[in-house]
Amino acid sequence: MFGKGFITRDFKGDLVVGEVLNSLIVTVNYVVIAVPTSILIGFVIAYMLFRGSRGEGVLRTMYFLPYITASVAVTMVFAWMFDSHVGVVNALLETVGISPQKWLLEPTPALKLLFGLDWLPDWAAGPSQALVVIIIYSVWASTGFNIVIYLSGLSGISKEVLEAAKLDGAGEWKVMTTIIWPLISPTTFFLLITSTIAAFQVFSPVFALTRKSGTGAASAGAPLDTTLTITVFIYRHFYERSNAVGYAAAVSMLLFGILLVLTMIQFRIGARRVHYQ
Amino acid sequence: MSAEQIRMATPDAPSKLKLPGLTTVLLVLGACVVVFPFVWMILGSFKTIQESSSYPPQVFPGQLHWENYKNAWLAPPNTLGKYFINTIIVAFTGTFGQLIVCSLAAYAFAQLRFRGKDILFALVLGTMMIPGEITLIPNFMTIRHFPLMGGNDILGSGGTGLYDTYAAQIIPGMVGAFNIFLLRQSFMQIPKDFWEAAQIDGSNSFRYLWEVVIPMSKPIMITVFLLGLVGRWNALLWPLIVTRDETLRPVQLAMIWYQGEFSADQGVVMAASLLVTIPIVILFLIMQRHFIEGIVGSGLKG
Repeated sequence: MFGKGFITRDFKGDLVVGEVLNSLIVTVNYVVIAVPTSILIGFVIAYMLFRGSRGEGVLRTMYFLPYITASVAVTMVFAWMFDSHVGVVNALLETVGISPQKWLLEPTPALKLLFGLDWLPDWAAGPSQALVVIIIYSVWASTGFNIVIYLSGLSGISKEVLEAAKLDGAGEWKVMTTIIWPLISPTTFFLLITSTIAAFQVFSPVFALTRKSGTGAASAGAPLDTTLTITVFIYRHFYERSNAVGYAAAVSMLLFGILLVLTMIQFRIGARRVHYQ
Repeated sequence: MSAEQIRMATPDAPSKLKLPGLTTVLLVLGACVVVFPFVWMILGSFKTIQESSSYPPQVFPGQLHWENYKNAWLAPPNTLGKYFINTIIVAFTGTFGQLIVCSLAAYAFAQLRFRGKDILFALVLGTMMIPGEITLIPNFMTIRHFPLMGGNDILGSGGTGLYDTYAAQIIPGMVGAFNIFLLRQSFMQIPKDFWEAAQIDGSNSFRYLWEVVIPMSKPIMITVFLLGLVGRWNALLWPLIVTRDETLRPVQLAMIWYQGEFSADQGVVMAASLLVTIPIVILFLIMQRHFIEGIVGSGLKG
């Protein structure tokens, strides 16, 4: 199992990360950043909506719109916004004095671009800047779902508990961190597991955003395979290379193993939760 | 507006009144960020090629270039309309088929008594643990080697099976364990008395399902229908894999086509993106309550 897909040698004979391990690292980078970010932003926005705001209905609709429309069609505007030559994001950054970035064409890890860190090998330095763009898209597209689920969880918290806390003199921040966050933790856990399972299978945004950004062959996962998530890897080997079906199927079993463990955890803890209710 | 200002201005107003003001400002700012890509898409769809590729970007188009929409519609070999027809065929037949298949299965698991029911239901639920991406390759093989179709012999070799057909895009999505589960939960809430009364009236299972169970489960049926429809409208991976012929492909694959053909002319690409996205936005705005309730219900029960 731990063949050259995991560790291999480059043309100089040095040990380097193999293609399967690379896909795993890319996917894990994507998951561990996109999922918690989206959940945290979702909680904050849901909490603010729950506290009450003018035009709450309209705001909720606006926040939810990306989730319902997320598709290749919508990723097109992200590709244009993050274009390295004519993108509006670079223009906005330039107005605050940040030089233009290559975004989807940039295989260098974002942390290295920010802090140098030349001693760190690329595979250990987190997502490439290209992957960061995909993460930004995913957070944008998935936060609406988290908001809706959190709002329904928050509406289940009894008003008496909150009022009692207020009477005891607990401030806004204290109520949120010591009462609401713990009470809502089953929702957070549910979102964490289901979003992680979904994020491990990410395909559409990677395919739509990176297919043309590589040099030469128009293969998704560019630049330098730094956005090559597992599902895109499977697609590439299964569909774009004719004789690698078995290899692709083996990698999908690897993905299955990871997701099975996550699902087991969800069922175990989910069952416990139901039991205590 | 003025009432709010007066309250804010009053020095002895309770401090908790200040926070909603700040909250609203933050929420509106956040919403602007969230909606910005849509705004940029709409503005872009009216820009000429020079306007969309200028840097720093020109925010507003000089004039509304409606011809982008005409160009976007007419550009693909069989027009964008052909892709729309494909998506409508696949999404509607697929979703209706899903409702029929899943409600039949859900009815059996909720109402009927037969041997092995519990084991069968456990097996159905077990498939929920297998994510769609894992079954991609086996499902593709099933389509490609479907016996007696597309020139295949009875053992499924020799031809292309159901590859490059509507059936390949429609049939595999028609059964969903999660939808069976949701519908069964809803069906089980119908009191048994109804079934006994229907039996006295001489009704059979099919008529009872059609005339009593389904009408009484309307909300969940609408939810399953809407989420199924949107899922199919936005789908990419499965249709990408089982079709090659552009005249059979759905709208999201049209976007991949535009990406290849119009990489320089963002105006046309944005016009096409907007045309493809608008139906879902309208559907969502009309049926918002059903979407939200459905997602909350299905999310928390999952």
